[in-house]
Amino acid sequence: MQLQKKQNKASKDKSKDLVDILKKHGAQVYEDLENGQFPKISIPNRSISNIIYDKKLRQYILGSGTALRSSKNTAQLRSFTQLVWLAFFANKLTQQKKSSTLRDVYYSSQAFAIDFEDQSESDNIIVDLEAVLTKPREEFYVFPEERSSIFGDLTIEYTIPGYEGKKMNLSDHPDGYAIGPSLTSSQLVDTSAELVIAIEKGGLFTRFIEEKVDKKFKSIILNTGGQAPRSTRTLLKRLHDEMGLPVVILTDGDVYGEHIAMVIKSGSANAAHLRELTVPDAKWMGVWATDIDKYKLPTIPMTESDIKRCYDLQKDPRYQEGIWKKELEVFLKIKRKAELEAFSKYGLTNITDKYLPQKLELAKSL
Amino acid sequence: MSSKEQFNQISPSEFFYRNRDLAGFSNPTRSLYTAVREFVENSLDACDHSGILPNIHMIIKAVDPDKPDPKQYILTVKDNGPGIPSKHVPLAFGTVLYGSKFGLKQARGMFGLGATMAILYGQITTNKPVKVKSNDDGKTRYEFEMLLDIQKNKPVLLKKEEKPSSEQGLSVSICLDGDYSKAGTKIRDYVYQTSLITPYATITFDDPKGEKFNHKAIIRTMPPAPTIIAPHPYGIDVETIRRMLVDTHYQIPNVDAKMIEKIRKELGMSKKKFNYNDIMKKAEKKWKSLTRPVRVVIALMSFLEADFEKLQRVRIEDVDLRNNKLVYWDYSTSETIAVDMETENPYYKQLANTVQGESLTHFLTKRFQRVGPTAATEFCKFAKFKPETRVGNMSDQELVKLSDALQTYEGFRSPDPTCLAPLGESPLEKGIERRFEPDFMAVVQRTASAYSGFPFVIEMGIAYGGNIKSNGLKVFRFANRIPLLYDEGSDVVLKVVNDTDWGRYKVKSDSASMVIVSHICSTRVPYKTVGKENVADRPEIEKELRLALQFLSRKLSSYMSKKGQAEMAKKRANLYSKYLPLIAQFCTELAGKKKEPSYQKMLKEENAIAEKTE
Repeated sequence: MQLQKKQNKASKDKSKDLVDILKKHGAQVYEDLENGQFPKISIPNRSISNIIYDKKLRQYILGSGTALRSSKNTAQLRSFTQLVWLAFFANKLTQQKKSSTLRDVYYSSQAFAIDFEDQSESDNIIVDLEAVLTKPREEFYVFPEERSSIFGDLTIEYTIPGYEGKKMNLSDHPDGYAIGPSLTSSQLVDTSAELVIAIEKGGLFTRFIEEKVDKKFKSIILNTGGQAPRSTRTLLKRLHDEMGLPVVILTDGDVYGEHIAMVIKSGSANAAHLRELTVPDAKWMGVWATDIDKYKLPTIPMTESDIKRCYDLQKDPRYQEGIWKKELEVFLKIKRKAELEAFSKYGLTNITDKYLPQKLELAKSL
Repeated sequence: MSSKEQFNQISPSEFFYRNRDLAGFSNPTRSLYTAVREFVENSLDACDHSGILPNIHMIIKAVDPDKPDPKQYILTVKDNGPGIPSKHVPLAFGTVLYGSKFGLKQARGMFGLGATMAILYGQITTNKPVKVKSNDDGKTRYEFEMLLDIQKNKPVLLKKEEKPSSEQGLSVSICLDGDYSKAGTKIRDYVYQTSLITPYATITFDDPKGEKFNHKAIIRTMPPAPTIIAPHPYGIDVETIRRMLVDTHYQIPNVDAKMIEKIRKELGMSKKKFNYNDIMKKAEKKWKSLTRPVRVVIALMSFLEADFEKLQRVRIEDVDLRNNKLVYWDYSTSETIAVDMETENPYYKQLANTVQGESLTHFLTKRFQRVGPTAATEFCKFAKFKPETRVGNMSDQELVKLSDALQTYEGFRSPDPTCLAPLGESPLEKGIERRFEPDFMAVVQRTASAYSGFPFVIEMGIAYGGNIKSNGLKVFRFANRIPLLYDEGSDVVLKVVNDTDWGRYKVKSDSASMVIVSHICSTRVPYKTVGKENVADRPEIEKELRLALQFLSRKLSSYMSKKGQAEMAKKRANLYSKYLPLIAQFCTELAGKKKEPSYQKMLKEENAIAEKTE
């Protein structure tokens, strides 16, 4: 109970923090106008030249470069107004705890004569605000459309209006639970699990539930649905940080799978302006390029874009050592890839019966 | 060629009949248009040269309106010009190559054959006579009906009537095969554009479909009428110089009774004492007052020691200055005789000068316009000729050298434009303003220049925006106040316009509403064809066009950047008015304030800047 209260307080602090920062920015703009000055806002520069890899944090971060967006400059006036509007809108969402999506934001703008030309323009402004606040958009209640899901013995307590205090165990429904705003914003109360297994594909997620992987391996199973959305990554981080659970990742045996694991571990360059999305201790346990030969998996040839992606990643500082470097080299050597489903050649449960235990054992030593 | 080939001379009428394509009478469409042009231009020329503000009325009527095109039309052009004296009418309209347009002054038509060609064409296609009504004194109107005898190049008069009338002017009416459904657009364009370049003329047009086009005069003053003058040294060629030299060669005068009488009078002698010795004595005394031919005859008499009787019996064959011999043919003895000439003889110089022609400086000052004694001397220094060089003695090489030097020497004043009749900047500007109502316009008249000795003046106007209908750049070409409508592609004006990089002048030429009016005035516009529709790209003309266009483009450019600045400031002010209130609204709520910040002052300042720039 002690822990729970602490968490509650932390969540409220977080909200209050955000509202405070928003208010501070609003007051600055107000003051400028009052003094007959054109207001301006400093935004961290998100261009590639300002993205650097921080070895200590083990993720990409933004450098010290910033760009000034001024309302005096007519080329920036519109986007400046859009940014102030979004801050105003985010403030409302946060205070009222109303969730919205990127698309909602785009349409909401139209009620205020803020003319976004298309959604990609409004999406961009959202990232601008994230950078200004150094907070992910989920904190100001803008959630992604993509839903990934979770299953396992984890008790949560909702914080969203109308459900406050209501508890729920995530093993009650055999299809798993969608990772939406209510789940992301809930308190993590209790779990018997000792491990989180993040898996790339929905099909395998269902198989794992059917085969009771949660019980057999005392784990929470999480479906990333391909590249893990940021809310999912936030949840993974909380499971790791707040509940002290190690995270292992199971992907297709190809270069994209390897990178899905890497993004969970150390984030993406796209989100270099944010700090709370990574699980640096997460482990990629397969399918490795070396597993393809070892487990005699049926393969398909790599496409040209697969190969190009390999060469691109070889330039990434995070792929300069360990299994990351080694597996990339093997992929390039064999020029073939294998999907998670490839294990079905040896029976539908082969992956959970044979492969998973072996890899989990191996992961301990990684 | 076989030796049996017959060489027949054909009359000019027949030549043009056989080559009517050249003159623009190739088909019913083109012919109707060309006929309109020839008559309207003749009328305008006539009015211009008599200082009458033209009032021209043109009617085209179908003989049988229900027939499909091409069909017979009656074309009538009526003016308020000076008319033509009745005795000249048959020749003027009934022969080819009869006219008054062969001097060095600007006129719309070149040879005066166009109108006759139209009549000829009408006669060929419909076999109907031309009807001419002329009133040249404001009292009597003479009405003619005639046909053209093509082989003899002679008019055949069918009818002639006299009627009292107070309306001066000329009316010509022909019946011809035409295609108005196809030529209509061009003809209406032609009438419209003519009114643009002739803003002092009133032109009305009744078309066969019953539509009336009325272009009223915009101004009430006429540009000064052109005069006939000598050629300018710029751009003259060797052949032209050679021809001019033939004219300057002083002829040895023919000694006849008339000449003898002239000599006697100049010397002031009585018939009695009019003998060789007395003549010589008297001539010595009166030398300075004698005219050139008389001096030459006296000099000859002196060398030949001959009286008039003997002088009339001989023919001077050569004045050989190298050997100092005078060679003549004696009719009475039928032999050639050479006499020595002593160079000390005072008459020697007279005779020598005569056959050698003028000195170079004299030749230049007398035969060319814009060359004074100083310019001539300076030119000789420049060209490394002795000023006293006799032009008659110059070798072919020297002539080439002279011709080249005349074109490269920069000290001559610009050609005398009095033989030209440019419209003038102000009338051109008014014409453009009234017809297009643009936002911006500029006109320029370049100083006169010359090609091949023919002076020309470029006038150009540029107009932008406003009520200009065209999308993109439209070029109106004129030459000697004639609109040029066909063969646009190969014209020198188009070439110059197309070479221009409009981006440099802040203009988007493909989307901007823009008009260029170009007017080339010359005593001879170098048309590429007899159809007079496109001007050849002579380097001198191209250069002047380019300079005119550059001058105007720079003006347009500065207008555009001013306009750009004003638009910018206005745009800025508009943007601020739109967004600042929004920013104020949102930040007020964000900051948790009740009252909006006072940003109105900022908006006022921006609006003030915008108004100032405009």
